[in-house]
Formats: sequence, structure tokens, C-alpha cells
Amino acid sequence: MTLTKRLVVCLDVQLGRVVKGVQFEGLRDVGDPVELAERYERDGADEIVFLDIGATHEARGTMLDLARRTAERLFIPLTIGGGIRTVDDMAGALRAGADKVGVNSAAVARPEIMTEGARRFGAQCVVASIDAKRDGDSWRVYTSGARVRTELDAVVWARECVARGAGEILLTSIDRDGARTGYDLELTRAISDAVTVPVIASGGAGNATHVCAVISRAGADAALVAGIVHDGVTTVGALKRAMRDDNIPVRMVA
Amino acid sequence: MRITLFDYGAGNLHSLAKALQGVRREIVLETDARAAANTDVLVLPGVGAFEPAALALEHGRDTMRAAVAAGLPCLGICLGMQLMFDSSEEGSGAGLGVFKGRVTKLRTPRTPQIGWNTLDDARDPLFGGAQLATAYFANSFVCRPLDESIVTAWSTHEGDRFPAAVRAGSAIGVQFHPEKSSAPGLAFVHGFLNLISHS
Repeated sequence: MTLTKRLVVCLDVQLGRVVKGVQFEGLRDVGDPVELAERYERDGADEIVFLDIGATHEARGTMLDLARRTAERLFIPLTIGGGIRTVDDMAGALRAGADKVGVNSAAVARPEIMTEGARRFGAQCVVASIDAKRDGDSWRVYTSGARVRTELDAVVWARECVARGAGEILLTSIDRDGARTGYDLELTRAISDAVTVPVIASGGAGNATHVCAVISRAGADAALVAGIVHDGVTTVGALKRAMRDDNIPVRMVA
Repeated sequence: MRITLFDYGAGNLHSLAKALQGVRREIVLETDARAAANTDVLVLPGVGAFEPAALALEHGRDTMRAAVAAGLPCLGICLGMQLMFDSSEEGSGAGLGVFKGRVTKLRTPRTPQIGWNTLDDARDPLFGGAQLATAYFANSFVCRPLDESIVTAWSTHEGDRFPAAVRAGSAIGVQFHPEKSSAPGLAFVHGFLNLISHS
């Protein structure tokens, strides 16, 4: 009948373990990525994102090994982001077991990476990961784990990412990340109205009402959650049921 | 049973290889199109773009087409399904032509289609057996068969109704990714392989 809306679970990974940053600082260790990913699949997660935080050249091998181990046990889509610098890095991540690859700082530094990636692997593999922070009447793009402010306007940049070949946008509100006060609905609406590809909203999920709101009211195709499910504030199953009860088309597991 | 994945270079084959595993099954990755046809089951995986894949297929295309026409069981997934048709709007080159028709872009304002879509009017018992009612898609292009009687399930994205699955004998093409459609997707793959091993 229709494409369902997705609930995406993000695992921030550092050296092969899951951590979740609050406002990108103060990291806590919450577990084994493969085990958690499988648990979320069973509970009805539609997709998993591994975000390699503080990715260094030396740590790449750890991430690829993790991707391989995960892909052998996970049977829902896996996106890997963080530390992707080149098209060869993208190829490595896809080859290792990712279905999609997120590019953030590298896309700002060299937007052609999205075009080249889309040509080689298809647009559906290329996720433009955009970290945006409110700046007066608009939103500013930040890179390098939200540490570096750029001159880019988030809406203009989102459009350019799509024109360059990105097949999806993973949009994170820096202001809301880890705050659990709800997604930035205005930001999400501005981006989802500006582009023709799916938008995954991220940053701010505190409860099921927030998840439903960003999909029903802000045009997101998917809502990303992390801390609230890792900490046991709620569960993937409870969030999916709340989405269904709010008349959002979702996939329910038996 | 020897199951060969034709590896045309692009993407993640781990999940698919894992999904196909089972007792008395040997999974083989083969980059040579002609050699790939020498198997019990041929799988055309689903990541990449049509043109480079058609190029990789070219030197073994006739061998592969003849083998499938002669009854070699074949499962084409996403781009792999599209490669079972004649040609594609996405790029030049020829597909296998096992199914007659052309691959076109989704006629919707928003592409790619990424996410879980429902399978409508599913009439292949493999779907019911697997309880596969919602499957994961990641595609901008879809197949338009000349003869719609080969369609065994449909899906709709923003008003464009397209074949989610086609079948002629033991040649099956699916636009979705069963290896990414969780437990019911795996059950679909195993249903297909069981069907073959018993026929």
C-alpha cells in the first residue's frame, strides 16, 4: 500500500564498543554493538546506524571488522558513518557489510565524493550526514563531530548534497542532541521541504510523542533514536506501537 | 547444492551470503559471468548501478541466459532483478532478457525509495509461507514487464505501482532485499531454496 515510516536506532561506536554522547561530550559505555543491533532488530528496529566517533586512521580496521561481524548476524539495513574520507573508504565500508555510508566532513571538504559514490554504488548507498545548529533565522552546518562551524546554510547545503548524488539525508540537530526535549521540528520541516530524498531526523528524542511528531508534523521519513533505547527509558517495540497508534504506517514485527 | 553469487563488484554480499547458508549448501562468489552459470542455483545480488553490472555480465550473458532458459534456478535481487530484464533507462548495456521488458525510473517526485514497503496482491505461495508482507527496498528504478502475468507481488511508491516480484518457473526476481527484510525475508529465501531442492 505504501512505504512505511522508519524507526532507526543509532549506535555511537568507539573502538568497537557502543557509547552515546550527550551534546557530543561526556561519553558513556553502553555495550557491544553486534549484540545491541541484533536485539533492536528483534524488537522491530527498521534500520541500524553505526556512527564511528572519533574515528582515526588506525581505528578504521576495527570498524570494518565490526561491520563484517554485524552483517553476518543482522538482517536489516546497516549504515556506517564517521571517518569516511574517500570513495575508497566508502567502498571498504560497503564491502565490509554496510548497506549505506554516511559522509559528513568529507562531503563538505569535497562534495564530489557524493557524486562519485552515487555513480559507483548507486545513490541509495550515499547518505549525506548533516549536523546543523540554529543560527538566528536559519541553521548553520557544522563538521568534525559538531566542533567546526562552516559557512554553509543547512537548507542550501542539503539541496546541494542531493544535487550532487546523495540518496538520503541524516539530519542531526546539534542543539537538541542528547537533550531529550524533542526533535527540532522546524529544522526538519525546512530540510524535508527542500529535498526530494528521504530525511532521517536525529537529535532530541525523549519519548514516543517526539518520534511521532517529527514524522507527522515535520515531514521526516524516519526518526533516529539512541540514548532513550540504550538506557531503557523506552523500547523500540513501544515506540513502534506508539507510531502505529498515531496512524503512522509502520512495519510491526510478529 | 551449489549456490553461486555473481559478484559484479559493487556492494555488501556478506548478509546475502549468510542468508543463503544452510545444511548441504555451498556458497560460491564468482566474478566471471560465464563461470557463474555453472551452478545449481544462480543468485544475482542487488547493489550497484545497471551499466557497470551489465558490462560485467556481458561476456557470459548468452551462457547465463541459456542456462536460466534451460531451467537453472535463479534469484535476482533489486539490481539483480533488473538485470534479468532486457534493458534499463539507468544506463546502457543489455540485461539477460530472461524477462521481457525495460527498467525505468520510478515515476514519483521523491526517489530513491528507501525503506519498508508492503507487498500487495502477493500470489506466490512463497510469500505466505514466509509471512513476508513488508519488505525492505532501496531503489530508484523499477521493472516494467511487457507481460504482467509474470508479476507475483506489487508495491506502490507515491502512486507508482511497480512489480515487487516476478516469476517464471524457477526464475524469480525481487525488487526488495530479502536479506535485509529481517526474519520473514530470510524465510522467503529459504522457502525458495527448499522449493528448488525438492523439485
